[in-house]
Amino acid sequence: MRCYRCGAVLTENEFCTNCGADVRIYRRIIRLSNMYYNDGLQKAQVRDLSGAVESLLQSLKCNRNNVDARNLLGLVYFEMGEAVAALSEWIVSKNLKPEKNIADDFIEEVESNPTRLSAINQSLKKYNQALSYCEQKSYDLAIIQLKKVVQSNPNLIVAYQLLGLLYLESKDYEKAARILERGIRIDKNNTTMLNYLKEAEDQLGERDGLQVSSLQKKAPTTHAASDSIVYQSGNETIIQPINMPEKVSMSAVVNILIGLGIGLAVMWFLVLPARIRSAQTNANDELMEVSNELTARSADIDALNKQIASLQQENEAASQAIESLTSGSGIVEKYDYLAEAALNFIRSPNDVTTTAEMLARVMGDSFSVSQGSSAEENYSAAFRSLYDYLNTQVTDEAAKRLLDSGIAAYNNGDFNQAAADLENAYQLDETNDQALFYLASSYRSAGDSDRATELFSLLINTFPDSEYVQQARTYLQNGAESDRTDAGAQAAPPQEVQDPQAAALAAFAAAQAQAAEEAQRAMQGLPADSDVSAGAAIDQ
Amino acid sequence: MIEFEEELKKFHPLLEVEEAERYIHNTDVTDLVDLMISLADRYEMREELMGE
Repeated sequence: MRCYRCGAVLTENEFCTNCGADVRIYRRIIRLSNMYYNDGLQKAQVRDLSGAVESLLQSLKCNRNNVDARNLLGLVYFEMGEAVAALSEWIVSKNLKPEKNIADDFIEEVESNPTRLSAINQSLKKYNQALSYCEQKSYDLAIIQLKKVVQSNPNLIVAYQLLGLLYLESKDYEKAARILERGIRIDKNNTTMLNYLKEAEDQLGERDGLQVSSLQKKAPTTHAASDSIVYQSGNETIIQPINMPEKVSMSAVVNILIGLGIGLAVMWFLVLPARIRSAQTNANDELMEVSNELTARSADIDALNKQIASLQQENEAASQAIESLTSGSGIVEKYDYLAEAALNFIRSPNDVTTTAEMLARVMGDSFSVSQGSSAEENYSAAFRSLYDYLNTQVTDEAAKRLLDSGIAAYNNGDFNQAAADLENAYQLDETNDQALFYLASSYRSAGDSDRATELFSLLINTFPDSEYVQQARTYLQNGAESDRTDAGAQAAPPQEVQDPQAAALAAFAAAQAQAAEEAQRAMQGLPADSDVSAGAAIDQ
Repeated sequence: MIEFEEELKKFHPLLEVEEAERYIHNTDVTDLVDLMISLADRYEMREELMGE
């Protein structure tokens, strides 16, 4: 303790040893302040918060610089929900004792949660608003506001007090009692709330007494006095029969049956439809999954079927290719023919005719392998080289021999043999007009005038500069007619055919005679037999 | 019996954050120590006057 004048530390003397000031009263005042502080501390420890506030305020009235009392007062205010008042006390304490003050911790604890502090401040504003409503006689609005306050700031003692008072004023004693009991659990010795609670309980007791008496008055008309006991529990009037008859068991059974019926109905109308819908939903989901899987499998099957069809087509193509290679007209047989032709050429180099026939079988109907043909692609280079070599060696000679043999047969009158040889000779050498002419003549002599006419026309068109053209035209002009008149007869002798000039002169003479005959017919008014033949003869 | 109007007068508005500063500045009230010092000063002053 220090001297109030000079600040020196006081001793046990009743005066200050430094300045001589009398400190007896000062000591008593400080002791009184500390006594109130201790009293407030004891009350706070037993949660007599309002009593603690009163004691601590007295302590501060004695000595406003009592830092401990001010800190404790702030702590009690905070516990009573008045956080702003608590902060104010701690800040004042901090100003009085800046160092080593526990108020620092309190302030830091509160300021560390600004949201909570803001909520408490809002609840304080609502409380003040409710108080304002009370001044305006708007008690209902005040009750609504105070309900919100005790919900958001459940330690605000004054809110419980004011709400309890308002309930008392509105004759709602039960609510008043309940809210006051809640407040008293926080501030156990709050005399104000205890007074209000006593008032509420008194009012409730008086009302219960009135109700009991009124029920007792009505008892003879409703219940026999000896059959029941009537008492009040809050707002509820309980009538307890003294002797419960055993007949109640039957009604209990009926009630149980009714309850079971209601339960079954609830099951049937509420639970079962929900279960059925749930089961249907699950079944639909599963069905959808199965459908999706089936669709995917079907797509796979389609793809595999397409692949099988493609492979089958490839297999057929490969089989056809193999068949084409190994069949009677296949490439293997061609190789055999070529080998036989080569063997025949080696054994009998002069038998070119047989070799040429064998070569002809190599390419089938075509007697040569033309360059760039599609068939050429199927043969190897060695095959082509051998074929070309044999073809070069035997074709010209074979054609010449066939031509000679054909002409010889023709001259001997063997026209069929001549036609066969000359046919082969012309096929071996299609540039040979002589072979074509004798071939046509052979057919003509053999009686095949259509084939002969065809070949003569071919000769005229293919070899227009040939020396046999004139003879061919002559045949075309009158050969067919002579064939018709001499059906079955032997054709013109080979000498006639072999002398084209004589034949031409004969044809010219025949044409002049025919022209004269036709002119005579024209003068006689007769139609010409063949304008075309006459024209052609005149042209010749 | 509680008088509602009288009881209502005992309730006062609570301190809000906006009013905290004003409250803090007004806490410098006179306490018993201040009264004692004032009385002691007056007594000493009277003693001095009587001594003269």
